Amino acid sequence: MIESYKDAGAARLIKILSEYKLQIIITAIFLSLWLVFYIINPPALSNVFTYYSIASVAPFTVLPALSLTLIIIAGEIDLSFSSIMALGALITALTWQALGEASPLGVILGLLAGLGAGLLNGVLVCKLGIPSLIATIGTMFLWRGVVLVITQGFSIPLGMYRGSAIFNILVGRVYGVPVHLLWTIGLAIVFWLILNKHKFGAYIYYVGDNRTGAQMVGINIHRVLISLYAVHGVIAAFAGIIDTLEMATFWPTLGDIYMLKSVAAVVVGGTPVTGGVGTIYGTFIGGLILEFIEMGVLTSGVTGFWIQLVHGIVIIIALAAQGILRRIELAKVRLLRILTEESEEK
Amino acid sequence: MSKRYIVEMHDIIKRFGSVVALRGVDFYVQENEVVGLVGDNGAGKSTLVKILFGIYAPDEGEIIIKGKKFRKLNPKLAYELGIILVHQERILCGNHPIWRNVFMGRELTNKLGFLKINEMKKITYECLSQLGLTRMQVETPVKYLSGGYMQGVQISRALTFEADLVVLDEPTIALSLVETQRVLEYVNKLRNKGKSSIFVSHNIYHVYPVADRFVILDRGRVVAEFYKKDLTPEDLAEIMISIARTGSVPEKYQKLNLKLTYGKGSFS
Ligand SMILES: Nc1ncnc2c1ncn2[C@@H]1O[C@H](COP(=O)(O)OP(=O)(O)OP(=O)(O)O)[C@@H](O)[C@H]1O
Ligand SMILES: [Mg+2]
Repeated sequence: MIESYKDAGAARLIKILSEYKLQIIITAIFLSLWLVFYIINPPALSNVFTYYSIASVAPFTVLPALSLTLIIIAGEIDLSFSSIMALGALITALTWQALGEASPLGVILGLLAGLGAGLLNGVLVCKLGIPSLIATIGTMFLWRGVVLVITQGFSIPLGMYRGSAIFNILVGRVYGVPVHLLWTIGLAIVFWLILNKHKFGAYIYYVGDNRTGAQMVGINIHRVLISLYAVHGVIAAFAGIIDTLEMATFWPTLGDIYMLKSVAAVVVGGTPVTGGVGTIYGTFIGGLILEFIEMGVLTSGVTGFWIQLVHGIVIIIALAAQGILRRIELAKVRLLRILTEESEEK
Repeated sequence: MSKRYIVEMHDIIKRFGSVVALRGVDFYVQENEVVGLVGDNGAGKSTLVKILFGIYAPDEGEIIIKGKKFRKLNPKLAYELGIILVHQERILCGNHPIWRNVFMGRELTNKLGFLKINEMKKITYECLSQLGLTRMQVETPVKYLSGGYMQGVQISRALTFEADLVVLDEPTIALSLVETQRVLEYVNKLRNKGKSSIFVSHNIYHVYPVADRFVILDRGRVVAEFYKKDLTPEDLAEIMISIARTGSVPEKYQKLNLKLTYGKGSFS
């Protein structure tokens, strides 16, 4: 029996199904969740404004979760991005205040601040060898502290810049669709391409899967990780800026609620915190699932205090499901190894 | 015999702090030759091949590869010189398909760095076929493979890289009998394709069937070298035991010991 590296028809379909099984499962969960909420509350789920409001808030969770996915696949973590969101947005707001206009320069400086903060994380983790969980908890407090000291806890109103070109480019509406959703989808596609079709994406996977192996074949681990932290810093700052523009106010607490939500989006999306595997698509849908649950909880009439509780339950279910799947996978690995042995001995 | 030397190493000394792993080792590999590098645990076998691959720098000594002299190497340079190391440590990424593992760190890409996926799959398929692994799917994640097949994937890396010298560090460790047999076949196929290999092992019964020449390391020194044609596996076993016990080769084998007949360094 000789099989070529490409085979046709049914076999190919099965292969595609098994290759994308994680994506299929997460999509199925998303659709059934939608169905459940639809059954509970048909009017809300048939109202286009429900989707409109999800579309306008989901990007703030999903955007940082996209680049966070890459970091988690590489076997590391970053918790400081919630503070970097605030740092980037603050720099933008302050620049505009100083210039008296909504200048693109403000956005550029905000993104650069994110880049700098991301690089600092990378250096702390790689060059100083601090475990990423600890290092980024440190920088999380550091940047939040910087923001609080500078603002003295006061918000910065930006409503007067509404309608400016930069507002429309970042958080305007195209046929009612929030532009920042389009940015999010566009960036998700870019990240997907890099992760699956580019050399750098391959390195990200290898660094998380078998770090010593990656090192021995000549992959520069530090370069991969520092680049990832830098990218994540920029994306976090970007998410912070669009959040601020969407609210037309800079809040010093900006980002706090996204820290766990974005991490949850990655985990619910099927990327295990152990590294080496994970998908951008899963994270995207994972973020939508969280927003849907939030919407479902709110429209079902209970108080907002329930949201944290429900998010907590969702995260735990997702982690438990991953644990079970990992065990099934291990059993499968063992079985398949035995099978290849036997078939070969015949 | 006027075969070309692929690799010559002279007077290699390597210390790890107070441990002297290699104490002046001379070592060479000729074209289309399989060298069995044997010796007890901790003899310095891995250290020697890691120096050859540029993972460690020797403290003293020189390395000559295809006529060019080096004080030390690095993995990238070693690749470029046509040397590939199949590690004792597993370098494969279990969650990823065979084709990605075969090209890991040496991906074929376009100018922008995007992967030439179909091309890599095709080459992987051809390499696996060359090793007789036609039933293996290039898409299979390597974690589903048994140990022998994993070594097969690591060895296919060597084939795709057009290596002249494949260094296998303990490729049969922790493998079943059938699996060991399979790895030995891969090594034979490498020889049939005109390549050279260094087969590192402390199990002489694994090395004996494939090697042309044995180099025996003991506590950081090459104590003996033999052609396979001069010895039976039992002779080799006797020599190894004697070296482990007394540190020297039994008298009756000394006239076959290339190390003594040629003398130090005279092969270059
Ligand atoms: N990175 C290192 N740091 C310190 N000591 C080392 C290092 N690598 C090897 N050694 C020491 O050098 C000596 C030779 O080790 P080496 O791994 O080369 O032996 P080996 O012949 O490959 O043994 P094995 O059969 O166990 O693989 C040992 O005493 C070992 O403890
Ligand atoms: Mg060793």
